[in-house]
Amino acid sequence: MIGKIFFWILIIAIFIYLIFPFYWALISALKTQAELIRTPATYWPENPTLRNFEAVFQNPGFIRGLGNSVIVAGAVTVLSLVVGSFAGFALGKLRFRGRSPSLYVILAMTMFPQIAVLAGLYAVIRLLGMPALPSLVLSYMIFTLPFTVWVLTAFFKGLPISLLQSAQVDGASTFQTFTKILLPLTAPALVTTGLLAFIQAWNEYLFALTFTSIAPGARTVPVAMALFSGQVAREEPFGEIMAGAIVVTVPLIALVLIFQNRIVAGLTAGAVKG
Amino acid sequence: MAVKTKARGPSALARGEERTALFLLIPSFVIIAVVALYPLGRVVMSSFTNERFAAGAELRGGQFIGLENYRQLLSMTLRTVPQRLDADDQPMFEDGRPVYVNPRLFLRGLDTPRTYDAVSVFDLFGNRYVLGASSARFIRAVWDTLVFTVTSVALETLLGMIIALTLTAKFIGRGVMRAAMLVPWAIITVVSARIWEWMLQPTRAGFFNAFLSDLGLIDESIAFFQTAALQVPAMVMIDVWKTTPFMALLLLAGLSTIPTELYEAAEVDGANPVRRFFSITLPLLTPTLAVALIFRTLDALRVFDLFQVVYGEARYSMASYAYYQLIAARNVGMSSAASVVIFVIIFTFAILYIRALGVERDD
Repeated sequence: MIGKIFFWILIIAIFIYLIFPFYWALISALKTQAELIRTPATYWPENPTLRNFEAVFQNPGFIRGLGNSVIVAGAVTVLSLVVGSFAGFALGKLRFRGRSPSLYVILAMTMFPQIAVLAGLYAVIRLLGMPALPSLVLSYMIFTLPFTVWVLTAFFKGLPISLLQSAQVDGASTFQTFTKILLPLTAPALVTTGLLAFIQAWNEYLFALTFTSIAPGARTVPVAMALFSGQVAREEPFGEIMAGAIVVTVPLIALVLIFQNRIVAGLTAGAVKG
Repeated sequence: MAVKTKARGPSALARGEERTALFLLIPSFVIIAVVALYPLGRVVMSSFTNERFAAGAELRGGQFIGLENYRQLLSMTLRTVPQRLDADDQPMFEDGRPVYVNPRLFLRGLDTPRTYDAVSVFDLFGNRYVLGASSARFIRAVWDTLVFTVTSVALETLLGMIIALTLTAKFIGRGVMRAAMLVPWAIITVVSARIWEWMLQPTRAGFFNAFLSDLGLIDESIAFFQTAALQVPAMVMIDVWKTTPFMALLLLAGLSTIPTELYEAAEVDGANPVRRFFSITLPLLTPTLAVALIFRTLDALRVFDLFQVVYGEARYSMASYAYYQLIAARNVGMSSAASVVIFVIIFTFAILYIRALGVERDD
């Protein structure tokens, strides 16, 4: 009995710990400016107002950030799935010399700290004369590609080799076998890796901050949130910042909850055998 | 037809397969070359130069200066701080304690080719020592990042383990709990930094100061971000909240692979829960734990978002130091050297981990 009470206290404590900052952001976003700066802070908004949300949606920098993030994260997802499934198929199902070195080279990229390539990447982008948004898409491959290749390679490996053989007997080329037969079967893995690539790209800050420093129009959500300033420059407008935090977080939480089984499977892929 | 296929089919097929494989791998390797290998090579090269950004982000300079950037970044000196002398050139004492000269001014006054700034001052065996570095802020950034990494990874592992073990029990609302675990993970790091920045405000308008004073635990508000001793712990606090769920999820997945018969057998043998944890759970969870630790440690070592958003240039992590050398100081050569040092540190950690844990992973 005591054990049971202790167990539920623990469960509730963990739940509060996980959710509380989100709750605090939400109630702060609903508070009036006067209530926000009052001490001590109130634990519940007295006169809930949507004024902060209105201000956020009238903030051109924030809206543009949302648009840019959707474009960048969407393009990163598509590009890493296309390129990653090519590589995953080759590494998971085909026999060729240099297969395991290739896999290691791609995996080794996971260890690359982004900061270590920052200055060099900046030079590459200037060399190619790329605008800010495409340059972000390209540079995000450094962390989405290794992961995508890793998960898809494992997935392709798990598909029965007989599929490949019977398609070849029927006269299909290797590439046709890949696009017509194997790729549709990998749909679940594609959804998982695509979601994770999207979230990683949505999150990224260092490259976004650096490569948009001379192109403010290309700022993504994290940069917009970090540099958020209100109409009045005097004080940091935390009410609006919290409203912005809610706006950028809710769609992501919805996405994550809808696909939670896939995401958990993707996150734990490779970490746990079996 | 059949005979023909048998005669040359397999090798043609194999050759075709090889060609297709290479063709399919080309895009990946082109991308890797462009976004990782070439940039890394270029960073290593420019770390030996005095390359700078001029106005308009043009690269300028780039003369080879050998190891100068590294020397400037890593030079350190350990000195005994002398006692202050009185009018008769006798060492000064106050209340029986020696009075020392200001360590900062002492370092400045040294006749060395480089100027040193104090990184830390400490007393040992009746002497006072000062550790000076030519780039004191970089050395401090490295130290802070290491402290941040070790404490946050340790706390995440501990908390993640507690959460994972709790969630292995079957109870009503388990699905809700699992969903709640994904909330911190789904919040953008920059956004969670800003939420915590707001909760940790130095006045009672912030949650923590209001709450702690409501509990009667503090009389005066705590300035979490302005008090030097609390700056790194505050970062750890945010990071632990954000990443514990990831740890818990990995461990939970690992726990689910342990056969329940083992626990039943141990229970029959009269092993208590603590014993069962240490002789069944922990050993069988080691591979998962190893992978989770590697992921999290390498991630924590490259921490940037939290430090940059909350502190800007007031306190650096390794990565934010290199960032500001590049963007604010426009010192490409120096930033590159810092990046290379960071890369080496992270690589060393990776190798150590793989050496220490990799053997068990293979069987």
